[in-house]
Amino acid sequence: MNRDKRIGLLGGLVAAAIGPWAIAAWLLWRAWWRQAGVRLAALDGSARLLAAATATLPADRRDWGAAMAAELAQVPVQERAARWRFAAGCAWAAIFPPGGTRAAVGVAGVLAVTATAAAAGATGAALPAGRVFVPVFVGLLGGLATLAVARSRRAGHAGPGPAVAGLGLAGVAACVAFLGYYLAEFPTYHRARLHAWTLVSLPPVTAVVLAVVLAGCLWLALRPPRWLLGDRHARRFGIGMAVALVAGFVLTSRGELRGLPGDGGMMDYSLTGLVLWVTGSAVAAAVGRSFRSGLWACAWAAVLVAPLLVAAWLAEALHWYQQGRGMLLDGEGGIGMGANLGDAVWWTLPFLLVWALPLGVLGAAVGSARARRRRAREHGDLASTT
Amino acid sequence: MVSFTRLSAQATTAVILALAEQPATWRYGHELRQQLDLKPGRLYRALMRLADLGLLEAAWESDAPADRPLRHRYRLSGPGRAHAAKLAAGPSVPAKTARVVGEIGRLPRLEGR
Repeated sequence: MNRDKRIGLLGGLVAAAIGPWAIAAWLLWRAWWRQAGVRLAALDGSARLLAAATATLPADRRDWGAAMAAELAQVPVQERAARWRFAAGCAWAAIFPPGGTRAAVGVAGVLAVTATAAAAGATGAALPAGRVFVPVFVGLLGGLATLAVARSRRAGHAGPGPAVAGLGLAGVAACVAFLGYYLAEFPTYHRARLHAWTLVSLPPVTAVVLAVVLAGCLWLALRPPRWLLGDRHARRFGIGMAVALVAGFVLTSRGELRGLPGDGGMMDYSLTGLVLWVTGSAVAAAVGRSFRSGLWACAWAAVLVAPLLVAAWLAEALHWYQQGRGMLLDGEGGIGMGANLGDAVWWTLPFLLVWALPLGVLGAAVGSARARRRRAREHGDLASTT
Repeated sequence: MVSFTRLSAQATTAVILALAEQPATWRYGHELRQQLDLKPGRLYRALMRLADLGLLEAAWESDAPADRPLRHRYRLSGPGRAHAAKLAAGPSVPAKTARVVGEIGRLPRLEGR
């Protein structure tokens, strides 16, 4: 390949990765501006800081956010330093409202640290290949649990419902179970065609990325922020999209194993997955008659599909291995089974981040535009009949 | 029964005692903050905690001038007043809190702070 072709290819790849995000960012900015931007533009910096912080308050404390904003209006606009001090103090109270008692927070913190240390010790002895993933994952969960105790004042926090919580929990549990199996059975692998040396199946960077993603998804599935809970239809669409995406992945893998005619293997799945993603977001936006419904459906699908897809990848890779086939990604042989761990993480997560999320935003924009046009037509018809 | 350990925070005690000075009067957050010289974060955490415990009544103004938003106002509830009386009578009011707020009924309310 000559230099010009190489530059062209590189440029195409960069454009393909950045393009959808640039369009999605513009759509998000436009939607935000319509919703809140005009209002926020009239506020000074301190009021914007307070507005951003109070948006994180749980539903039953929303009045307190409005109360703080009203009191900030009592501090004269000329006293900029005083306004910033007031806003910063209130922002702190909004982000860390009184929750569990200090004793409960302390106990949760001590338990988190103890569990992390115990996990690090036990993993080092029993499963050396997991010595990065396990303590990072346990530590993150412990930290998030401590934060939850610090922020909550009641046990009865509004949740996303049993379907989301169950799927999230099942996805993360399956991921951890497969990961444990892989790390015990295939802690290292060889890439015979390229070189002779041994490679680690789960390098530290991959382990940390996977731990952060799994802990984050589990957290969002069990204790999502208030703004994500508002739209029940979007949540249902998100669940449907996640189930369809994972089912599509497994069916594609099984079809490839059976050598169905016209099947292009797991690479084809990327296209199918993206079509499903865009369509799901668009339909959610059209049904919910808002851009936000499409976005929330896309967000819920991402939260659920990330762990489920990694788990499905690891399960299908085992299936391929048992049938004497090569790597799940492209069927390449001569590579140790452990390489599937890195593939599962580095193909699934970029697929979600680089392509699926921005294309979901595009789908939501298309779906909500159709809904807006339909509403406008209905208004027009109504006006002409009256 | 209100757990004293949950109310032992200095800011919370100071807020209770300040509200108890004029138990029937609605007070505002900014005014309380100035009176007690508390940081706004501590004041609002204390107010939220008191409301959670049922010691505080919080209500929005019924009307306000057009140039400002409606304000939230606060006063002690029945149990709040009882608790304030207990706090004032007992030896457990922290010295610094007593200095800031003044003992109920004896020292005048701090003005213009």
